[in-house]
Amino acid sequence: MEYTTALTTCTYCGCGCNFYLEVLDGQVIGTIPCKTSPTNEGKLCIKGWNVHEFIQSPKRLTRPLIRKNGELVEADWEEALDYTAQRLKEIAEQNGPESLGFMASAKVTNEENYIFQKFARAGVGTNNIDHCARL
Amino acid sequence: MTNSVQEIEDADCIFIIGSNTTSSHPLIATRVYRAKEKGAKVIVADPRRIHIADIADVAVQQNLGTDVALLNGMMKVILDNNWQDQTFINERTEGFEEFTKAVQGFSVEKAAELTGISTEDITAMAEIYAKSDKASILYCMGITQHTTGVDNVKALANLAMLTGNLGKESAGVNPLRGQNNVQGACDMGGLPNVFTGYQKVTDEALHDKMSKAWSSGKFPSRVGLTIPEMISGIEEGSVHGLYVLGENPVVSDPDSNHVTKALEKIDFLVVQDIFLTPTAELADVVLPGASFAEKDGTFTNTERRVMRVRKAIDPPGEAKPDWEIIQELSSKFGYAMHYESPREIMEEIAAVTPSYGGISYARLEGPGLQWPCPDQGHPGTPYLHKDKFARGKGLFHAVEFIPPAESIDDDYPLWLTTGRNFSHYHTGTMTRLSPTLVCEYSENFMEVSPEDARELDLSQGEQVSVASRRGEIGVRVQITPRLKKGTVFIPFHYVESNVNKLTNPAMDPIARIPEYKVCAVKVEKNP
Amino acid sequence: MIETVKEQVRKLLDSGQIQGFLGLLEKNGHISPHLFTDPEELDRLNLGERDKPGDARYPLTKYLIKIARAHPDKKFGILVRGCDERALKTLYNYNQLNPGQVVPVGIACPEELARECECRQPYPEECVAGEKSEGCASVSVDRLDELELSERFDYWTEQYAKCIKCYGCRDVCPVCFCNECTLASEDLVQTKTFPTETPLFHLVRAAHMAGRCIDCGLCEQACPVGIPLRTLYKKIYNIMDEELDYQTGYSEEKSPLNAI
Repeated sequence: MEYTTALTTCTYCGCGCNFYLEVLDGQVIGTIPCKTSPTNEGKLCIKGWNVHEFIQSPKRLTRPLIRKNGELVEADWEEALDYTAQRLKEIAEQNGPESLGFMASAKVTNEENYIFQKFARAGVGTNNIDHCARL
Repeated sequence: MTNSVQEIEDADCIFIIGSNTTSSHPLIATRVYRAKEKGAKVIVADPRRIHIADIADVAVQQNLGTDVALLNGMMKVILDNNWQDQTFINERTEGFEEFTKAVQGFSVEKAAELTGISTEDITAMAEIYAKSDKASILYCMGITQHTTGVDNVKALANLAMLTGNLGKESAGVNPLRGQNNVQGACDMGGLPNVFTGYQKVTDEALHDKMSKAWSSGKFPSRVGLTIPEMISGIEEGSVHGLYVLGENPVVSDPDSNHVTKALEKIDFLVVQDIFLTPTAELADVVLPGASFAEKDGTFTNTERRVMRVRKAIDPPGEAKPDWEIIQELSSKFGYAMHYESPREIMEEIAAVTPSYGGISYARLEGPGLQWPCPDQGHPGTPYLHKDKFARGKGLFHAVEFIPPAESIDDDYPLWLTTGRNFSHYHTGTMTRLSPTLVCEYSENFMEVSPEDARELDLSQGEQVSVASRRGEIGVRVQITPRLKKGTVFIPFHYVESNVNKLTNPAMDPIARIPEYKVCAVKVEKNP
Repeated sequence: MIETVKEQVRKLLDSGQIQGFLGLLEKNGHISPHLFTDPEELDRLNLGERDKPGDARYPLTKYLIKIARAHPDKKFGILVRGCDERALKTLYNYNQLNPGQVVPVGIACPEELARECECRQPYPEECVAGEKSEGCASVSVDRLDELELSERFDYWTEQYAKCIKCYGCRDVCPVCFCNECTLASEDLVQTKTFPTETPLFHLVRAAHMAGRCIDCGLCEQACPVGIPLRTLYKKIYNIMDEELDYQTGYSEEKSPLNAI
């Protein structure tokens, strides 16, 4: 028997509401708005109250996919990352680093965006990095 | 936001423009309701009669793309009546004279003609806003997603400076950020022109600093490509590979047929996401990331508050936290990364980013911290520009009204605007898998005024076709008095009926933001 | 007071009378709902107060339903105030919880909180800690009852019109457990609309709360737009009490409305 509540921040809009994800025996079963949060003070919108519903959708991607003969087929991490790194390297070598583009994300964490742009700039050598702030 | 969410409830006047607050930022609407309860005046300007307009003291429905005309009209009224805060203008700003000249050349009557709002309403809005001690402006994509997006924002800044509503509590110019971490993505340098904390890539000293911190000076000192420029680059053959992290440009970008074609053409596309989105379906490699519930990290909200994200469960199957994937890929590419945890990454962010200098996981327990937070002893910054602006003095900009890029004509006689509905979010990849949310709005719809519905012989729930000069989609009709004659609204959550097939990719020349909020369409009954 | 509670819970856990205690824990600089299984964690037990008593209350009985159902062979302690005890009683009446699985650990609310809540009985029958204070009458209901009917109607219409349809009043409610919610029933209220249908949406819920609402006030605290829901449902309690002689949350039986 394991019941835990993980305090986190909403993945939808920019309000930044805090809530607990209720986890019972490894499954997220509910959302509890955090009453001591400075932004939402124990309240949420309809999206927030139901945020636990999409997380464990059967539509989630669970394995890397590689296009082979026109079809996306499952692959292991080693193969997917080796292939991706090799293709990016080939393109950078043949056409220069400026021929690669990086779309960062308003959905992932600060830490992830940070190392993503670091990879683009320091690793690949381009400032071609943007995200959909405008959209 | 220049100010904090909490401060809104103590404002004397709240001016909401281009934000459907109760649907898109419900927990900010909370503060508006509280302020109203405490006696604040509420002004709402939106092309639709949105829900929060129901509690407004003045609510107006401007014609699409006429915000500058409305704001200049209000400022003309303020100047004519001498309601401006001259002390603030003298002490804290510059460029007032040129600005005054531009506004004086405009008239309230002209503003009324362009916006479709009466001179009485424009005058009332100006008076309430200018005479309030603490007036707070809230705006959202209804202001920015225009070819004149930057002009719109400058006009709002002019209005706030003119009345001394910057650099104090419960006032300010407050953009409500649409996505949970769009603020953070900008702060972290997910932009072609800046490193973290808006440090310019063109600055040689900063280039040296970052090269040293990263032990690599490979990156150039010139600005990189924006997303629309990357898409054009693919078409022109200069961009060959694209790495997309948790975005769905096929649905979210304007003129989406065009984006799809570009992504089909590109040599190599890698997409990292939690779902097989329409963008991922076009990829050569798809990498399964972890959702926010499955990893540690931080998000920065619209009021610049950095808050913790904590892992609740393991990712499904072999999916991994995005930071682990990026790090492994970077190492395989030849640039090694060895972070043990997001906490360690935050230590590096704090070391290279002045505005995040005092942020650490230990200090993020509790309510979080609002940047700028330059050092470990700094308490964070609830509101900006307290004693001076970032550039020293606040600069007035003379802004002239420019009409939207596309106009209605005989072939496309209706104005279309887009946005969110209350139960869905962005391209719907998450909310449309949530049964409770799908119960509310399962399919796309077009809001249309009773007058237009009568003229076009449309009935409630009828399936119609809507076309612009770029594409055509099918939607159901929803007749509502909240729309005025001549304007229709369609939300952008539905890939099978994607309104961005219709929207205009014309961009603001500076911000490169597309004009999602205005285009011309025709509505046809299905045969 | 808190030390007495800790001691009692430690005893229950150590003796094996319960396998877990549902309470509140100080964690991450916040006060979090938590299932204590390790007595060591009791050092950080909190009774649901940050700045003042009861300002961090959570519907613990609602969470207990899910945990107890998944683990029918286990017994659970739970922190209860007067309102939580009324919730438990109602949940037992409607077979949502098995009383044999539940060991309440009661605390009485201080006078300050009792007054703020206008609580009829601000303590559970058995208290481990806290002084039982007097129950309070509902001033907020009286104040509205004094208004003319048309004024009262306008007041409530204005309140309902603010609703942003978050369903938080339902989602936080310790006694909302129906599989099919009346608010999703097209026969009763227009669904798939925004804003909500006024006043039907809120009146349908209010009617459904008759004989159910145990007056914890968590709905009002969860309402993003500040609709005085607690006052509305207190009025419903009064009607049930006066017209049908049914005291919701105190009776050992289902409400008479269930017999219809």
